[in-house]
Amino acid sequence: MTVTTKAGQPKKRRGQGKDIWRRLCKNRLAVFGMIILAGLVLLAIFADVIAPYPYDLQNYSEAFEFPSWRHPFGTDNYGRDILSRVIYGARISLQIGFISLSGGALMGCILGAVAGFFGGWLDTVIMRFTDILMSIPKTILAIAIATTLGPGLVNAMIAVSISSIPTFARVVRASTLTVKEQEFVEAARAIGASNARIIFRHIFPNVLAPIIVQSTLGVGTSIVLAASLSFLGLGIQPPTPEWGAMLSAARGFIRDQWYMVFFPGLAIMLTVFALNVFGDGLRDALDPKLKN
Amino acid sequence: MSDKLLSVRDLTIHYITDDGVVKAVNGVSFDIDKGETLGLVGETGAGKTTTALGLMSLVPDPPGKVVGGEILFNGKNMLKASKHELRAFRGKEMSMIFQDPMTALNPILTVGEQIAEVIQLHDKLSKAEAYKKAAEMLRLVGIPDERMTEYPHQFSGGMKQRVVIAIALACNPQFLIADEPTTALDVTIQAQVLDLMAELRKKFGTAMLMITHDLGVVTEICDKVAIMYAGQIVESGDLESIYERTCHPYTKGLFGSLPSLSKKIHRLSPIPGLMPDPSNLPTGCPFHPRCPNAMEICKSRAPVNTEIEPGHFVRCLLYESKTGEGEK
Repeated sequence: MTVTTKAGQPKKRRGQGKDIWRRLCKNRLAVFGMIILAGLVLLAIFADVIAPYPYDLQNYSEAFEFPSWRHPFGTDNYGRDILSRVIYGARISLQIGFISLSGGALMGCILGAVAGFFGGWLDTVIMRFTDILMSIPKTILAIAIATTLGPGLVNAMIAVSISSIPTFARVVRASTLTVKEQEFVEAARAIGASNARIIFRHIFPNVLAPIIVQSTLGVGTSIVLAASLSFLGLGIQPPTPEWGAMLSAARGFIRDQWYMVFFPGLAIMLTVFALNVFGDGLRDALDPKLKN
Repeated sequence: MSDKLLSVRDLTIHYITDDGVVKAVNGVSFDIDKGETLGLVGETGAGKTTTALGLMSLVPDPPGKVVGGEILFNGKNMLKASKHELRAFRGKEMSMIFQDPMTALNPILTVGEQIAEVIQLHDKLSKAEAYKKAAEMLRLVGIPDERMTEYPHQFSGGMKQRVVIAIALACNPQFLIADEPTTALDVTIQAQVLDLMAELRKKFGTAMLMITHDLGVVTEICDKVAIMYAGQIVESGDLESIYERTCHPYTKGLFGSLPSLSKKIHRLSPIPGLMPDPSNLPTGCPFHPRCPNAMEICKSRAPVNTEIEPGHFVRCLLYESKTGEGEK
């Protein structure tokens, strides 16, 4: 199980980061996901250079064009190049997906860890609060928050963040409950560690696996949720391209111009797929017990 | 008695559950001098571990409650200490070796990080210095320090217990609690770990409370012995008086159930019956239902601690009559 070394030869020390990287690279599917993600991030960063047309260039004479060499993904009802819009859309969608999810995950993890660790009335208060949030469908909750805050990118992200808190809180609380019963937590107490130290250094890293899985699943949901807000006019304002918004806007033309929904949809699917396989690989790589 | 380190008086710990009060520890008293080792012996469920947790103020509350008594450590009552004081105290002045090294180490931190953690918590050292000291501790327990960056699952059981010992001794505590440190290990490793503990204890001059149910372990490293039954210490004294001049019927029973290499015994004589349910202790002497010498009075009157020779205490009605009056 351990790395065998020849006698007398000092074992080469490797940093933890390098170790994780090496294990991650062994998982082909994870590497594939990572490449797609890296590609998407590059697309988002260099959208100005890569995109063949500006995202808001309208050309009515070329409206509803089937994919061709001039417009590989076709054009929409205003004659805008869909490829360019998908590329620019990566910017917004990835931003929304990652930022809003991180916000929700951070809040949810802290609440869940605190509730699970301390238990008692604090647990009851926090968990009943998340139950209330959970009993409201995510979309409706996000709409309600976005309506209150007003339309816009930042507000949409806040709305999406808040609506993803309860899932994280539940997942983290459940795992915390299992981990805190283990003897090493008592051992940490016995060496004089404070509660905060026990939560963040001993318990939290041990519940990372479900958090990573939940996050990779959640990014996709967040992108779609933000899209619904955009569709209702509460999120991204046109003409800014956003995959979900493009999808919603194109739904009326689905019968004849399938490519208008197909490509933004494909982009969302690819992102979510890449995140999932990458997340799985990352979870395995972070677990030292699977080290080999 | 001037160098008394720890003095426990009438420590009583109950677990208050929905099904009733579980009387885990009932008026336990003992003293430990500096550098001395006390062996706390008893069957499973006698309240040994709860006593240990009580000393560290780590009894899970709820449901556990320290109902009464006092724990004087260097003259300071630990039961009245603030949370902050307790945190500074645990790991620095008093530390604990846990029963099962498999679960007492955090699976996702390297052993080096875990040893360095206790050092960083208590000694004002930089990270680099703490790691240096951690490496030293690791060498001290017989593990090459290049294994610092490995994770607990890469170590064998005995090695893990060595790591746990290294963590416990890293800040050079005055007092060490070892809660059945060898129970989870196989016999060959047990001897190694015991030797290591005895050696390090001498080196650092650490006083120790050795919790065990193995009377053999006690002879190897303890100076004094206390036999625990149903949350009470039924007999206590130095090693010689307990082993040579055994008094309490329960202690006799424990020795009777030990196989011996020198004497030819046809059949071991186990103690009949089971440990009483601590939520429903028998009246009078808690041992009377299993005691071969039980008298009628044992059912109604609880015995008190009686000193039958200097330093040798017995809690049994058989001996109370011999010395006339009990100690209290």
